[in-house]
Amino acid sequence: METKQEKPAVPFKPPRLAASAALGTLNEIYYRDLANAKQQGRPVVWITSMTPIELVYAFDGIPFFPENYAALCSSRKVAEDLCKAGEARGYSQDLCAYALCTFGVMFEKRGALGDEGPPAPDILLATEGACMTHPKWWEAMQRHYKCPMIIIDAAYTVDSDTLSPRHREYYASELKEAVRLMEKYTNKKLGAAKLHEVVINSDQASALWDEIDDMRAAAPTPISQIDVFTCLFPLVTLKGTKEAVEFYKQLRDEVKMRVDNKVGFVPDEKFRLIWDMFPIYHNMRLLNYFAEFGAAFVTDLYGNAFSGRLNADDPYGSLADRYLSFFMRAASCGKAELYKKRIKKYHVDGIVFHSNRCCRCFTAEQPDIGCILRDELGLPSLMFEGNMVDPRGYNDAQVRAKIESFMEMLEARKYPKK
Amino acid sequence: MKHSEFAEAYRNRHKLAEGWKRSGKKVFGHFCNFTPEEIIYAAGIIPVRIRGGSENIELADAHLPSICCSYMRSALEQALKGRYNYLDGAVFPKSCDMTRALYSIWKRNIKLSYYWNLPIPGKSTDAAVDFYIGELRLFQESLEKYTGKKISDDSLRQAIKLYNQNRALVRELYNLSLRDNPPLPGSEIFEVLRAGLVMPKEEHNAMLRKLLPALSTVKGSQDGKVRLMIAGNTFETVELLQAIEESGANIVVDDVDIGSRYYFASVNENEEPLRALAERYLRKVLCPCKHNAQHRVYHILKLAKDYRVQGVILLTQKYCDTHLYDRPWLEGKLKEEGLPVLVVDHSDIGWAGGKFKTMVQAFIEMVG
Repeated sequence: METKQEKPAVPFKPPRLAASAALGTLNEIYYRDLANAKQQGRPVVWITSMTPIELVYAFDGIPFFPENYAALCSSRKVAEDLCKAGEARGYSQDLCAYALCTFGVMFEKRGALGDEGPPAPDILLATEGACMTHPKWWEAMQRHYKCPMIIIDAAYTVDSDTLSPRHREYYASELKEAVRLMEKYTNKKLGAAKLHEVVINSDQASALWDEIDDMRAAAPTPISQIDVFTCLFPLVTLKGTKEAVEFYKQLRDEVKMRVDNKVGFVPDEKFRLIWDMFPIYHNMRLLNYFAEFGAAFVTDLYGNAFSGRLNADDPYGSLADRYLSFFMRAASCGKAELYKKRIKKYHVDGIVFHSNRCCRCFTAEQPDIGCILRDELGLPSLMFEGNMVDPRGYNDAQVRAKIESFMEMLEARKYPKK
Repeated sequence: MKHSEFAEAYRNRHKLAEGWKRSGKKVFGHFCNFTPEEIIYAAGIIPVRIRGGSENIELADAHLPSICCSYMRSALEQALKGRYNYLDGAVFPKSCDMTRALYSIWKRNIKLSYYWNLPIPGKSTDAAVDFYIGELRLFQESLEKYTGKKISDDSLRQAIKLYNQNRALVRELYNLSLRDNPPLPGSEIFEVLRAGLVMPKEEHNAMLRKLLPALSTVKGSQDGKVRLMIAGNTFETVELLQAIEESGANIVVDDVDIGSRYYFASVNENEEPLRALAERYLRKVLCPCKHNAQHRVYHILKLAKDYRVQGVILLTQKYCDTHLYDRPWLEGKLKEEGLPVLVVDHSDIGWAGGKFKTMVQAFIEMVG
């Protein structure tokens, strides 16, 4: 006979983090600073993820992350229109929806909050450290804004064990070249003391993030995947500032208190899962749907992509090490190895792959990673299609039905009826 | 010698390769025109381009999502079906995100005795060239280890010379299309070019040396046809060129990765071999996955002028991100020059000939 999960009639509402209030304030201050940057003579530098943001703060610039902003547009339900505006200018709907949405913002001068959007860039700074899309997208924006653009080349192998001193040297030379150009474009000299301070702040924020990440191994796991994605904002945008460090201290203390008191985010934690890759910003609540089955996400790779330890005594060398060893560019086998370690440490029961239709770079390997984990560890997986930013084509009912049957399967597997 | 012999060689490419294997040769497969084939050739190994096809996907979908380009999906399909069982090794230049991802997927699912992932800088600065020389040296050393034989400077120079001869011969073929009435239509030239991807260069050269003199006096059947250019990434469907010809036009020049972008630039024979190769492979007109979009766009405008092109078809393999980012700009630049442009999203898998022909007919009518 078929066993049906018993689900509460009311959708699950997770306990709220006290640190959320501080996060809201940080957000407000950041966007105010961004809006006032030009008056204050601070360069606005548009950057990609895996661009060494430390350089921007070392020049007293304000970094702006179009990716983060597209996520905001998506959660505010304006991304679809903005993506369509990008398409109207000839950009394909198949492209990265972060990019497509940003093109809409750029061409239409329309932002997430019914405003004019972010201030135009003084400098466009990119790298292909995360994906090949980034520099291409930045080139397209450079043709529009006609401002200076710097690309930091990140040539490395996919097998991380063949990463050699030559790769580091080339990357470090690219960083120094970027500094030279930043000095030229901003008319400022980079101060060694300032870089030192920024690198220390960046390192501390990462160290604190790593501590929080470690604590997710506790049973029950202390925070939700939505908390993790939301609390990434300072690590993505404010890394290198004192404020980010202070925020993560507060968050770490709160998470630690939960762990010490065995407070879980799901009251009766039955399953521990991994979320593979991008959130669905237009439907973040989907993550809580799993909690209705007693499932919690306990670890991921995406969040940790933004954390990386640095050494202030060797800023360029350690930045090179940190950004070149970016694990998301590893081969599928390499990524599976990382997951294997986490599956053990975090006592994982299954993995959920969000097959992000607009991102070939990080979805192409998902089926293979799933096969490796299934063949070697017997780990069950669920894969469903979505788009991180653009809600078009996403079928919530279908996805929820898939989740339901996946959870039934996990239930039968982990808690077989005698 | 006729173009049909090239077409036949391509069609029989797997059989031919199996024949080389029986005679004791080693064969490596590779992707895209970033592979420095000369080094493989100098190691005594025959490099062949791994190609896809148009047949339906049955096996590859378990390993690769359908949002990946049809080239990579169908190439993997062919390999999973055992058509590339004769390969000894495969080389994946890290050109785009797809070749990066496919490297590990192939490595896990297609058992070969040699795999190499070749990092390629995104830039073509002096620092990038110096860095790349180091990568080429590592690649060379790994091939030496694999074969147990040193690759001498001399054999590298010979390989470079042979490849340059091939490029020069193909240039002569392109030059024929400068005529008002080219002796070969675009679809037949494509067959000649495509054969060169999958056979030893000395054999391709020998065939070209027979073909070219025969063509010098041939009067073609392309007189009065609309002169078009095709620009994009890669494609397998020769029928699309035939459809263009049947509709009253002829492709006289291209910027695609199995055409001029592969064949045009030569290697400096007076330079130290690895440096010359690094410079050639980083500084020629590149696929948009590297960061000098202007170079390619102005090159396309020049080709259009030199070959007296009346319109351009931008044929992009669906889901090829890096081409899709440049395409609106390229389209605008061409239109600024007064050139009509037809934008086509192409997929070899499930190619819809009827739909394509209707689009092309309307376009040619507009141009002509």
